Amino acid sequence: MKLYRIAARNIRRNRRRSVLSCTAIAAAVMGIVFFSSYLKGMQSDLEKNIVTYYSGEIRVQHADYERYDYLNPLHLRIEGYRELIREIEAHEAVALLSPRIRFPAAVYRDEETYHAWGVGVDFDREREFQNLDAYLAEGRIPYEGRNEALLGIGLAKEIGVGTGDKITVMTTTMRRGTNAVTFLVTGLVRLPVQQLNGSWILAPVDRVQRFLRMGDSVSEILIKLKDGVSVEETARELEAGLGTEQTRELSIKTWQEENTSYGFIKMAGMVYNFISLFFFVLASSVIVNTTMMVVFERVREIGTIGALGMTRGEIVRLFFLEALYLGVIGSGIGVALGIGITVPLSFTGIDLSSALQGVSFEVSNRLYPSVNPGLTALAFVYSVAVAGLTSLIPSTRAARIEPVEALRSI
Amino acid sequence: MKRLVITALMLIVIPSSVFAVSAEEIIRKLEENTVFETSRVDGDMIIRDRFGTKKSSFISYSRGTDDMLVEFTSVEEEGMKILRTKDELYLFFPEAEETIRMQGAALKESVIGSDMSYEDMTGGKGLLASYNVTLEGTEEVGGYPCYRVGMKAVRRDVPYYSQTMWIDTTLFIYRRVHKFSRSGKLLKNITISEIREVSGRQVPVRMVLEDTVKGNSSTEFIVRGMKIDIPLDPGIFSLEELSW
Amino acid sequence: MKFLLRLAWKNLSRYRKRTIITAAALAVGLGAYIFMDSWILGIEKESERNLVWYETSSARALDDGYWEQKDRLPLKYTIDEPEAVLGWLAGKKIPAAPRTVFGGELIMHKDPFLEDGSLTLRVLAIDPVKDDTVFRLKETIEAGRYLEPGEEKILIGAWLAADLGAEVGYPLTVVTRTRDGYYQTIDVEIAGIFNCPNPAINKGTVFIPLDTADRYLEMNGAVTEINLRLPEREDADALAAALESDLAGVAPGLDVKSWRDLAEDYLAFAGMKKSASNIILILVFIIAAVGISNTMIMAINERTKELGMMRALGMKDSEIRLAFLLEAGGIGFIGAVMGVVLGVVLSYWIVSRGVDMGGLIGDMDIGYRVHGLFRGAWHPEAMVTAFIFGIVLTVLVSFLSTGRALRRGIADSLRYS
Repeated sequence: MKLYRIAARNIRRNRRRSVLSCTAIAAAVMGIVFFSSYLKGMQSDLEKNIVTYYSGEIRVQHADYERYDYLNPLHLRIEGYRELIREIEAHEAVALLSPRIRFPAAVYRDEETYHAWGVGVDFDREREFQNLDAYLAEGRIPYEGRNEALLGIGLAKEIGVGTGDKITVMTTTMRRGTNAVTFLVTGLVRLPVQQLNGSWILAPVDRVQRFLRMGDSVSEILIKLKDGVSVEETARELEAGLGTEQTRELSIKTWQEENTSYGFIKMAGMVYNFISLFFFVLASSVIVNTTMMVVFERVREIGTIGALGMTRGEIVRLFFLEALYLGVIGSGIGVALGIGITVPLSFTGIDLSSALQGVSFEVSNRLYPSVNPGLTALAFVYSVAVAGLTSLIPSTRAARIEPVEALRSI
Repeated sequence: MKRLVITALMLIVIPSSVFAVSAEEIIRKLEENTVFETSRVDGDMIIRDRFGTKKSSFISYSRGTDDMLVEFTSVEEEGMKILRTKDELYLFFPEAEETIRMQGAALKESVIGSDMSYEDMTGGKGLLASYNVTLEGTEEVGGYPCYRVGMKAVRRDVPYYSQTMWIDTTLFIYRRVHKFSRSGKLLKNITISEIREVSGRQVPVRMVLEDTVKGNSSTEFIVRGMKIDIPLDPGIFSLEELSW
Repeated sequence: MKFLLRLAWKNLSRYRKRTIITAAALAVGLGAYIFMDSWILGIEKESERNLVWYETSSARALDDGYWEQKDRLPLKYTIDEPEAVLGWLAGKKIPAAPRTVFGGELIMHKDPFLEDGSLTLRVLAIDPVKDDTVFRLKETIEAGRYLEPGEEKILIGAWLAADLGAEVGYPLTVVTRTRDGYYQTIDVEIAGIFNCPNPAINKGTVFIPLDTADRYLEMNGAVTEINLRLPEREDADALAAALESDLAGVAPGLDVKSWRDLAEDYLAFAGMKKSASNIILILVFIIAAVGISNTMIMAINERTKELGMMRALGMKDSEIRLAFLLEAGGIGFIGAVMGVVLGVVLSYWIVSRGVDMGGLIGDMDIGYRVHGLFRGAWHPEAMVTAFIFGIVLTVLVSFLSTGRALRRGIADSLRYS
């Protein structure tokens, strides 16, 4: 008596029923796969934005900068940063780095004042660090040594300027003086985070140093690491390696140590897990329901095969195997469909800009779902298990019924 | 010449009749003493705040009560100019292609991080037009006898409702000024620690301004050199020439 | 018809297990929908309530020049004779509270504070007697006490107090400008620390007594706004418009803004959020729909033989279909009832207990005017919608699948297993 053969034959014979229950399982699994991909896309997007635009994976700053952050203490800076960059780059785990100066700026145009954030950057490095070319909506990247700037597209719209126009920016210099400079807008950049899009002015760091009278120094260095290296360890190694006189007053922090952004990701992760759990519960209700139905509808059949001499254990195993096969087929189709939906979307993206209007979350306007292998595998195994296990409930009960009685029940 | 004679005459007359002068007269003399036909000052500003001390240098030109042009020469602010005319205040920066007109809330901001606001630089209108003054007696400040003059605002467009000035009884230059909030809390304390003669006129050359509410900063003004009643091109007080 | 109803009922009770399982699938989906809806609605309602209770009141009378300049917190556009307005409102039995809002710099010194410092914020001058007829700030005092008229005391929010290391009794100086523009300082002592569930108020607002502000800012009795409490169930916009025209006779030149106008930024934000959460609700529905359609289709397919039997007995196709639809409707009904019961139970939990998200969110600005405990709200409309939707969905699905089964011939159906 080869049970697995009988099970397979039963599935083939009752094609319609099999297709139906497979569809139900597939729909449920597909839902989970797609949603976990969507949420994963959201989470990795959040991480990417925080790392790229706010804190790097590791950030080097003056040790006191954070404490006085609200006062914009530009004098708490990194002097001799070029040498420091060379030292950091020598570390094998470091992939990319970005020296920056962030400063609050008032933009004067036609007697109106607008508030913005200036960011002095090394554009050659930024092209890689934030993949700047991909986000350039129009115009070109400013040249070093010229008073040129890129504007976030939202800010440009607010001020009413475009490529080729000039803006005058006033700010407080490092020593609390006042200075203003006119920048030529060489291009507009569509930054993925709405908040930055509406406030950033990117200018060559050498001009910003001059503008803020900071000499050859920057206020922070953001570091991105190669894949798979430990952020924590690298940070500690960098800290130990940079034991020279001038670096002693620096703080080297991983982005997990930066409370605000990491806390945000942690919270987002919890919310996402909660939503995923919710979908698992819903999906299981569909699977449970389908599997139980399939068995109950066949109580008469159970009676028949019982009358033909199959033992209870064999009956239970038969139904279990059937449910397992259906589960595997359904889940497999579900996973395939889920990935099938996700992959194209992971290239085209989902436009969220209208939903994010006026929200200060660090989520991009266009979200690219990415397949979540862990949850996808879990969804597959879970669904097969749920299908198999739920089949046991009705089949053990049905198997206990005397064949005659089972035959009587339609 | 005429002015010199009058001043000289007063210097002779006043000590004999110390208590005969009215507060108005004292203020009038003070203003005559501190307002010049034209002047050029080379000076330094030493600003102390929680992050340390910095020194800025400037040259300022003035004409009468209304017009003033301040040009910064120190590395930190090099090329920055502030132009005050009768009603307006403009900023010029060498790398900015437009001049910035300060107005509204921007006037409350500090001048290059000092304890002086742009607003403190405005308002060339005479003190007597803005304040009711009363002589409250004589007191010594740093060993010099001074008239103590209380001032209450009569106009609504001045930032300080009341001030007290201690004005040297012989030089008619204030040695100390207290500026108060409406409720009478001391906001700013100005102390003059050195007065020198320049071209026959007495001028304060060292002055400290403290923000007494926040209490953790001060600004010192030092006059390194001063010329009075020199010929100045009137064009330097115009917006057109600000960018030159 | 009576026969068909009886047949449907018989089928339902005969296939009890199937009935229950299918209904249960439906119930889980509907229950989940009701629960999610309740939670989101609860957060929204609470946000709105916290807006009205602590931030905007139901409506606010302002000088007609104020709104344009509101971001600058001007003292130029005022209600110069608030007594006339207040008296008229009292006659109409509308609770009203005058307030004056101004910008100031809060200055603190080391010892007792942790460090010398200053910060710019909004100061609200409130009438300690009238204010709590409109707002509920008084109830949120966590340490110390509420304000009393005329005293030089200040209330600060718990978050701000934690940042500054402030405690009751600490001295602060508020530097501002009088109405005329003179510098003004107000030396105050912290009377109390409030912990208001509206994060916007908790974060950056301090309160002093109105008559103290009047004295220091030389307002001569003028206030910048009069806040009104209107009956909750009525249309605030319409009432505000009506009051505006009524008040024209009492004190000309006043605007009356409803809380919807006052909170336009929040409402714009909430609208966007809602569209995002609606997507989740739709997905919940889709999964529930997949669940029931499957069981219904299966149930009908399993009984194709029965269908042939009924035809052989001479029943018309339309009658057979009706019998199935009635049966499906029965399952839908049972599922919907179960779903609503489940939804009510879950909602009851989220409405009465809530989930404390305070630790997760910290003092982050999530836009909603809710903090700490996130509660749900009862939403009967959603329950009715879910109920009807459940029944319609089952009937619709069975309609589609019976169509296919009926197309088969009698002999065919009977052979079908």
